[in-house]
Amino acid sequence: MANSEHIVSSFDRDLEAIQARIMRMGGLVEEAIAKSARALDTQDIDLARTVRAEDKAIDKLEEQVNEEAARILVLRQPSASDLRTVLSVFRISTNLERIGDYAKNIAKRSEAIMDHPPVEGASSSLRRMARQVELMLKDALDAYIQHDAALAQDVRSRDVEVDQMYSALFREYLTFMLEDPRNITPCMHLHFMAKNIERMGDHVTSISEQVIYLVTGELPDDERPKEDRTPYELGA
Amino acid sequence: MNDMSVSRDVDTGEIKMRARGVEVFYGDTHAIKSVDVDIEDKTVTAFIGPSGCGKSTFLRCLNRMNDTIDVARVKGEITLDGEDIYDPKVDPVQLRAKVGMVFQKPNPFPKSIYDNVAYGPRIHGLSTSKGELDEIVEKSLRRAALWDEAKDRLQEPGTGLSGGQQQRLCIARAVATNPEVLLMDEPCSALDPIATAQVEELIDELRTRYSVVIVTHSMQQAARVSQKTAFFHLGELVEYGETGKIFTNPDDSRTESYITGRIG
Repeated sequence: MANSEHIVSSFDRDLEAIQARIMRMGGLVEEAIAKSARALDTQDIDLARTVRAEDKAIDKLEEQVNEEAARILVLRQPSASDLRTVLSVFRISTNLERIGDYAKNIAKRSEAIMDHPPVEGASSSLRRMARQVELMLKDALDAYIQHDAALAQDVRSRDVEVDQMYSALFREYLTFMLEDPRNITPCMHLHFMAKNIERMGDHVTSISEQVIYLVTGELPDDERPKEDRTPYELGA
Repeated sequence: MNDMSVSRDVDTGEIKMRARGVEVFYGDTHAIKSVDVDIEDKTVTAFIGPSGCGKSTFLRCLNRMNDTIDVARVKGEITLDGEDIYDPKVDPVQLRAKVGMVFQKPNPFPKSIYDNVAYGPRIHGLSTSKGELDEIVEKSLRRAALWDEAKDRLQEPGTGLSGGQQQRLCIARAVATNPEVLLMDEPCSALDPIATAQVEELIDELRTRYSVVIVTHSMQQAARVSQKTAFFHLGELVEYGETGKIFTNPDDSRTESYITGRIG
């Protein structure tokens, strides 16, 4: 069924092309996450600038994906699994583009705090958190291309770890800021970076949900575990 | 969510027609194999499937049009409001007034627009006076969304109308005998996109009064106009369910292959 070919073979080529573009976008976004975290951790200003420059390619790909998806809708009027493929492409490209923006923002902020003395251990824990999200994204994209709903479900359940890491960092930065007001500027930036990575995790989760929709025809309706308690915290 | 069923009310009304174990043979050819289906009232039901799958044959069982084909044999049970339509006591002509039909090619009688619509009510004795007949004609033409275009030319020949108007005239003719079910066998396949849109709009209005069953080769049309869809393949009813579900997430792989245009 879904794997057999269309009678109109150019329809198959269109669908393959658009999914290949999503995968290319995904590859660039994975790189952007890793590079932005490394730029922060190693205080590499050139790498930070590269991340910012490369985000344009991601934005361009998103535009192309959306144009192609719209073209397929008009020309082929897809239904059933084909329709779900096109709809998921729209959403996933938006999610990827947003993740790219967050990576770009991390790069920007790491440039901003490079003149400040590094806050103890802060950048390496951010890098670990970014690594976690990067691996989740890799698995989500694998799940997408292999139509693996179980893997997508697994990715979805791992976002809770990202949330926990974020909560821990939130408290840590708060402590640093209370200890020494000179930490406030870098810690504000670091906190935004942590929040960026936490949001990346949410977008990866949303990609996983699209994979589940693509494969099963239904979005998961169970409540996902969430561990970000910071909205309720009042400070130390 | 990405589900076409959201915006449409599925009138899970009463069952108007019920088919059980229906088999049709044309001579030695087994055209329909044990079909069970419930046709709901005030609902548009679409029959889809590749050519030769039996959808038109099955449609023609619903008002005994297959009686007119000598080699056709129909087995099984079909009821209208619980009554067996193949009962020897049932007059097929009366049945066809209750279960009207519209065909692929508009086929108005070579008579005036007025007489086309008045024909059925006359032979079934549905009116006692000219005034009453006038009323039926106007009401039927209105229901077929043709009144405004036809009211000043009722005595002109029906064949002088455009294709889309002719098809709506045929719908008015079918509606004039006060049917309960309307069968439509590819009613738009000979029409241009504008006339098609008008007929589709009309089908949506008709379902407030009648149970409509439509055979169509246009998947998009089936998705647009119907609330229930039945997919036929090689004489079998493969899948029957809510239209939104059939077109976004069908259960059977043969349905999926057909609606997505794959080699099944």
